[in-house]
Amino acid sequence: MTGALYAAAGSDPDRLVEVAREFSPRIEVCGPREITLDLSGLARLFGDARAIAGELRRTAADRGLQVRIAIAGTRTAARLLVRHRAGITIVEPGDEASALAPLPHDLLTGLTSGPPEVRSRGSLDPPQGTALSSGAGSSGPAEAAELAAAFRRWGLRTLGEVAALPSADVAARLGQAGVQWQRLARGEDPAPLVPAVPEERFEQALDLEWPIEGLEPLSFVLGRLIEPLSAHLERRDRGAAVLHVRLHLVSKATHERSLQLPAPMRDARTLRTLALLDLESHPPQAAIDRVVVAVDPTPARVLQYSLITRPLPSPEQVSTLMARLNALMGEGRCGSPAPVDSWRPGAFSMVPFAPVEAPSDGPGQVGQVSKTEAPVVVALRRFRFAVPARVQVEDGRPVRVTTERRGLDGGRIEKCAGPWRTSGEWWADTRSGGSGRPGGAGGENTPWDRDEWDVTASDGATYRIFRARDANAWFIDGVLD
Amino acid sequence: MANIALAVLESALRDRKLDRTLTTALPPLEQGDDACAPTGVAAIDACLRNGMPRGQLSEVAGPRSSGRTTLLLQMMAAATRRGELAAFVDTFDRLDVASAEAAGVDFGRLLWVRGQSVSAASGAPVEWAVDRALKALNLVLQAGGFGLVAIDLADVPGTALRRLPITTWLRVQRTVEGRDTACVLVTPEPLARSAGGITLTLTGHTLWTGSRERPRVAGADMHLRVVSPRRRVGGEVTVMARAVDEGLTDVAVGLPPSPKATADHRSFSVGG
Repeated sequence: MTGALYAAAGSDPDRLVEVAREFSPRIEVCGPREITLDLSGLARLFGDARAIAGELRRTAADRGLQVRIAIAGTRTAARLLVRHRAGITIVEPGDEASALAPLPHDLLTGLTSGPPEVRSRGSLDPPQGTALSSGAGSSGPAEAAELAAAFRRWGLRTLGEVAALPSADVAARLGQAGVQWQRLARGEDPAPLVPAVPEERFEQALDLEWPIEGLEPLSFVLGRLIEPLSAHLERRDRGAAVLHVRLHLVSKATHERSLQLPAPMRDARTLRTLALLDLESHPPQAAIDRVVVAVDPTPARVLQYSLITRPLPSPEQVSTLMARLNALMGEGRCGSPAPVDSWRPGAFSMVPFAPVEAPSDGPGQVGQVSKTEAPVVVALRRFRFAVPARVQVEDGRPVRVTTERRGLDGGRIEKCAGPWRTSGEWWADTRSGGSGRPGGAGGENTPWDRDEWDVTASDGATYRIFRARDANAWFIDGVLD
Repeated sequence: MANIALAVLESALRDRKLDRTLTTALPPLEQGDDACAPTGVAAIDACLRNGMPRGQLSEVAGPRSSGRTTLLLQMMAAATRRGELAAFVDTFDRLDVASAEAAGVDFGRLLWVRGQSVSAASGAPVEWAVDRALKALNLVLQAGGFGLVAIDLADVPGTALRRLPITTWLRVQRTVEGRDTACVLVTPEPLARSAGGITLTLTGHTLWTGSRERPRVAGADMHLRVVSPRRRVGGEVTVMARAVDEGLTDVAVGLPPSPKATADHRSFSVGG
């Protein structure tokens, strides 16, 4: 036995689903205003079909919904009846064809093509097409209109007249779509009911008796919320892709943070730590009186560890470490360096630290000393901001370099090589932005024009110094070390 | 007579199981198959018997231009080439990415923690930067999973380093103990190492070549002195590093190693 609910225009679709779910776990959402229910077994609870329909109508009215109800042996019959008749319609099993016979066959157009607004719904969208003919030669709106026009041309007005046509002739003239319409006109179901699976919400909320301030008490609250959430994710074999923390403040404002996690994770301690570290960097502006934690679920990770290579830290460990380091050192100061395609001295960029498993030369390199030894090259220790220097020049060559910075003694220059002139970004517009540091020590897109020298001073160190040609000033760029 | 007294004393200590409290009586650390992280420089690895010890705090000390950073980048390159992760806590943000790339560091496996490039003229910011760098070092070590973790304290003034409590290094040692991580300090002078760690003291100078009118930097001569009593490794090594071309308009650096440099690279002594 199947029932169909058809709500009045403007009704809340979520409420309609709630009403249906109170009566049956097997419901199919056919549209924002229409739901079919499997009512098998409800007779023992409520009585006959009329009693069930009455109870349904009462429950819907309690929720502020005006609904039509039809109960029949097939889903198709229930849907056609509920679209045509107001109030409650009961059809005994086996009487579907006769009950549908006087109904206009135009009703099939709505069923086979499906109401247009169904496609635009979000969460209520059924997993498959809502048209009754889905999976059995479904016809589009244009084809349905053509069929209806053909039946009208033949002088047919009702479903009974369509059902009475010889099937072989219908198939010969209209094809399988015509036969499908004929079956629907008799009230036959083209496919079994596909129950809608309720969307699972991974969300926990807690109303606090007293507003809390500070992160320490909040950590306990977050732990209490995230632990059941983590257990829920584990039961469903899901991981969190995004962690949402919503704090309702006493000032009536809402402080919301969303953490995009680098990998699906569900470890409660890790999630709590990440949420707390994020809130440390972005604290709420007032005391908190309600905490809501939600996650966007995603399929969990499947890991295969290697017996040969060293295991990398898990994404949970990396995420926690990076969050802690970012909180300590500041955003953007931790990650992996990346060279950039630029001639600017010292140019680089930062990318997030995300190590991936890669084939290595071997486990631990036991006793293998530098199997693929690379040449040893002298490194430069670069001052991120060039150190201003006083340079004495004789015959066009620097002979003495000193600075005011403690520890950078400098002194008489014993050997020097240079100059090497580099310049770039002179085509950039410097009127907007740019720190304007001489010699191009500023950020990107700031011009530089410099003469570089490598000098060994009397303090034993070898410096890379340069003269910023635009400012005619000397700087120490780094130390060869 | 003295030898007899010493033997009696050691015997008495052995009887009371107190002999192991003496540093000199500690047995040498057993070097397992995977107990060391090779530095990537054959001469140094041979001297260190495979490289820097894992689970220990070691140090690379030396003055400016002695090759500390060069050696550290070689270690990081070797670690990342092996597929391990390396972390570099850069106290004053001194890493030159081009140099690291030339050394062969796999950036995808390098965690770079950049400190603030503070002025050393004032005392307070330096201590603040060092304090944050040490906290970052502890965080990285606690997280685990890294084959090499290094902290650059090379530009920290000696006075600021000496003000650090000794418990700082004990704490670092306790954190790294038992892990597969080789922890390395880069300092201007020997500062701290664990009992099983290694101190590499560097002295070196820049090598010049070319004519008197047009001299050029050819590389650097790095002289390492290895100290690690408990690992029973030691000796001195000389390594030649060559200069790298950084893409200047007139290439004056980037020379191949000279014949003399190649010979120096091979001349090292182990033991002593």
